Amino acid sequence: MTISTMCVLGSFTTPMRIGTTPASMLWLLPLVVTIAVVYKATKVDKIRLWPFTRESAVLFGSILVFIGVAALVLYALAWVATGQLPSLLSGSTF
Amino acid sequence: MGQSWKENHALYLIVVGALAWLVPGAGHYVLNEKTRAVVIFVALTLTFLVGVYVGSIGVIDPVNAKPWYVAQVMNSPLVMILGRIGATGHYPVYGRAGEVGQIYTSIAGLLNLLCIVNAIYTAHLHALEEARA
Repeated sequence: MTISTMCVLGSFTTPMRIGTTPASMLWLLPLVVTIAVVYKATKVDKIRLWPFTRESAVLFGSILVFIGVAALVLYALAWVATGQLPSLLSGSTF
Repeated sequence: MGQSWKENHALYLIVVGALAWLVPGAGHYVLNEKTRAVVIFVALTLTFLVGVYVGSIGVIDPVNAKPWYVAQVMNSPLVMILGRIGATGHYPVYGRAGEVGQIYTSIAGLLNLLCIVNAIYTAHLHALEEARA
């Protein structure tokens, strides 16, 4: 076994360094590409390069838009629950 | 359609399903859908390998991360071998990299489950068409 092969195998034994930063959310993108491609591969009748690429890209975009909407809704809920609701309850006459 | 056709048909579907589980895309390959098989194989293998690379081989842990392992093993029965290695506890898993690795490998497994079901259904339709012809 050559040294380079051992180095490649060795790189699978320790985790990469990924910080808990907003940029780490970008790891979502390759996964969404896979989901879109595999899902479309099971759905289309015939796989031809351009129609398949277009359909996968549309699904990729749809998933991202939905994730964005879900993130905004959750952010709004968290904002109301942690910022607005406590002040409303503390000023209540009950 | 007689009893033997039904028995052969069930066996055929089981073989297609088993092949699709053994190697991602192999179920579609035996159904002569080679392009589809290659797309599935490349996408799922790459996703699984990226997950293991990012999180280390320890992300496949049948002892401490059983729910994740159930999804990961859908990639292929060969993942059980990696599971035995990961269960030794010699390979560290921590932080965001561990999360990303677990999510990548598990999603790859669940997508392969979708492909297995799709291959079995496609095989069923092909067999019905041949029986009618």
